[in-house]
Formats: sequence, C-alpha cells, structure tokens
Amino acid sequence: MAAQPPHAKRWHGHGLPYLDEKPLPGHLIVIEGTDGVGRSTQVELLRGWLELEGYAVSNTGWTRSPLLSETIAEAKAGHQLTPITFSLLYAADFADRLEHEILPALQAGFVVIADRYMYTAFARNAVMGADPEWTQEVFGMALVPDLVLYLEIDVDTLVPRVVRGKGMDYWESGLHLALSSDIFDSFQNYQRRIIAEYKHLAREFAFITIDARESINKIQAELRAHVSEYLRRAQGGFQPQADVPSKPKV
Amino acid sequence: MHFTEWNSSRLVRNSMRRGKRRNLLTPSTFSLLHAVDFADRFIYQILPPLRAGMIVLADRYVYTAFARDVARGVHPDWVRGVYRFAPRPDLTFFFRVPIDVSLERLLAGRAKLKYYEAGMDLGLSTDLVESFRLFQGRVLEIYDQLAQEFDLRVIDASHDIAGQQKVVRRMTGEILREYDHQRARNRHGSSATAR
Repeated sequence: MAAQPPHAKRWHGHGLPYLDEKPLPGHLIVIEGTDGVGRSTQVELLRGWLELEGYAVSNTGWTRSPLLSETIAEAKAGHQLTPITFSLLYAADFADRLEHEILPALQAGFVVIADRYMYTAFARNAVMGADPEWTQEVFGMALVPDLVLYLEIDVDTLVPRVVRGKGMDYWESGLHLALSSDIFDSFQNYQRRIIAEYKHLAREFAFITIDARESINKIQAELRAHVSEYLRRAQGGFQPQADVPSKPKV
Repeated sequence: MHFTEWNSSRLVRNSMRRGKRRNLLTPSTFSLLHAVDFADRFIYQILPPLRAGMIVLADRYVYTAFARDVARGVHPDWVRGVYRFAPRPDLTFFFRVPIDVSLERLLAGRAKLKYYEAGMDLGLSTDLVESFRLFQGRVLEIYDQLAQEFDLRVIDASHDIAGQQKVVRRMTGEILREYDHQRARNRHGSSATAR
C-alpha cells in the first residue's frame, strides 16, 4: 500500500497483492471486546456522534458478510465446526467484508467503525487451541486499523449483564470446548480465557483499553475522546467536540 | 482405501454457489472458501483413515490452490500459510496437458466453459475461450514450478490412458512396498494387534 501521510495504512501480513494501490484517505477504527460487553451499543452511539460531526461513517460487523453469514449460522447450528474450519470461515467472512465494504469505504474517505476485527479471531482461536501463528498468517490479508479501542471487562461484571440481556448461548459459553457440562461454569471459564487472551493482544497490538465496567455514557465519552484525539492527529488539527451524551440514543 | 474429491464438502456449498452465481468472489474469498472445503474434508475424511493406517486417494490437494489462487493474484506465501495444517502427501501425481488439449477435452464434455475456471473474474479477456487460455496458461506455469518445489511426479496426460496408468501404478507400487511390509508384520504379530 502506498504511504499516505499522515495516517499511512499497512497490511497485517502479505495483504492483497492483486489490488491496485489506491489511496485510502478514510479511517479504520475498531471496537473490540468480548461477548455481551456492550460493543454494539457503543458502536451505534459513536456512529451517530461522528455523523453529527459531519463525517461519512460506515460500519461493519463480524460474520455480517452476505457471502458467508448464512453458511456460518448453519454450520454453527449443525455443530460440525472444528477450530480450523471455524477460523477459515471467519477469515472468509472477514475478507469478503474487507474487500466489499471496508476498503471501498476507506477509499471514499469514510470513517469505518468495525464492531470486532481480526483480534476476535486471534483471541477465540487461541482459546480453541488453533496455532496462533497460523491464525495470524491467515489474517495476513487484513489491513492494520488506525485505532483499536478495547472494551475490557471482568467475568464477574459480565455474567449478570449477559444473564439480564440475551442470555448465555452455546458458542459464547464455549460449550463446543467441553470445558464443563454446566453452561454457567462453562461461560465463566471460557470468557475468562478469552479475556486473558485479549489482555495479551492489547499489549502486542497497542490497543487502547477502556474500562467497560463503567456506565454506558462514561464509556462513550472515553471512546469519543480517543476518537477525537486520533482524528485531530490524523487530520492535523481539526477536533470534533467530544461531548458526553445526555441520554444515549440507540 | 478412501477417496476424497476437491470442492465436495457440504459445509460451504451454499456460499460457494451463491458467490459463483453472482460472481461475488474475490481472489481471497475464492481461496478461503476452498480452504474451508478442504479443511472440512481433511478433518473428517482424510485424517481419520490416515490415522487408521489406510490409503487415501485425493483427487486434487493443496497444490490446486497453490496454483490457481496464486494465478488469481493472492500471495504464494499466504496461501501456503493458510494450508499449513495439511501434511505433505507421500506421493503426488501431476497430470499435465497443454492448454489446447484441456480446452478440447472440456468442450467435448459440455457446452460451455465455466466463469471461474476460465478466470473471467480477472478480466484478462471478455472472450471466454481466450480468457481460459490466458488464465490456465498462468496456472500451468505455476504448476510446473510447484512440481519442482514439491517433487510432484509429472505424468504426460496427453498420452493414452493405459500408458499413464502403467506409470502411475509402478510409482504407486514403489511407495507402497514399505506399507505392504508393515501390514504383513502387523498380520503376523500378536492377536491383539492383528486385523
């Protein structure tokens, strides 16, 4: 990818050599965090705010590609997935969104907010027992994001949120790993491992960690502050107002 | 003996069909979908018979991806990395024919070349046959390099079938000699290990 100051883009690995080197003046902002941490709520609030600030915003989420989403849902329902096929399906979904959504939006100068990115695969695959080096190689076609905001939570705070919310599901509880036959124990055990992996990743890939035990408004204010700061640096001066929302609009 | 064939797992059939029908596939998603298909068959169909000491006959293996996906433009090291979970076969045959022969054979069997097999997604030519020639020419060139890199046994597939079979059987026989010794040893072993 051609260098484009002030925010040059680069690939995580070998990239997509068949694509023309087009400038990517947009910004790729990633929100990471485990299941039930409140990512989607925060992404929606962030999106609304950025649009009010005059940015063209595009968002993309894990397993939302038109090519793969149904296949992934079917495969999950049939429980026939192994760590390798799981990883490759996620990678295919990711590549489809990267080429059809993320890169075109970045070329058009959009702010792209990604609800989860390759780090989700890194964390989950490591917990599933797939070779971490292999996972990183597979995601070598990914573009390195400009900013990764990680919503960090502990399992004790997470559990009541998930129970009160949509409940514990098979995959988010890691029942596929047969850690325990009890869904509650399995959820705690699995999520604890995922969070521990994220902690490593946060160090390795310089995530900005945000305390997700706080209120929705406080988390949103922090996210906005970091996004403002990033955009100010990237654009050489201009800074959107990072007001705390009086009432979250979801 | 167990037989497995490229692009035959049920897991990604719908995505593949959807992608191909609407020409939605990019070189990387084309590559990854085939990798999912291969991985699914590898885990359920190739690995268990190998672990049980059986012979697995695979119609196409990772080299198909190494040739075809790289001809589409993905990085050669990336696709090798994606397939790193697959062991090297004990013996790999590469049935080689010039483009004109493969073109003739394909067109004799059906009315039209397929969009992706002709590499139409790459925009090399708007003419299906011309695009096939250009794309499969690239694929063939890469296969020739792979034959060196991975010690593939090249069989001239423009010759008569009986002649090709003779060569293939001789080479397979050589590889299986050690396998037969092992089986004989197992048969004469204790009743607990005999099969």
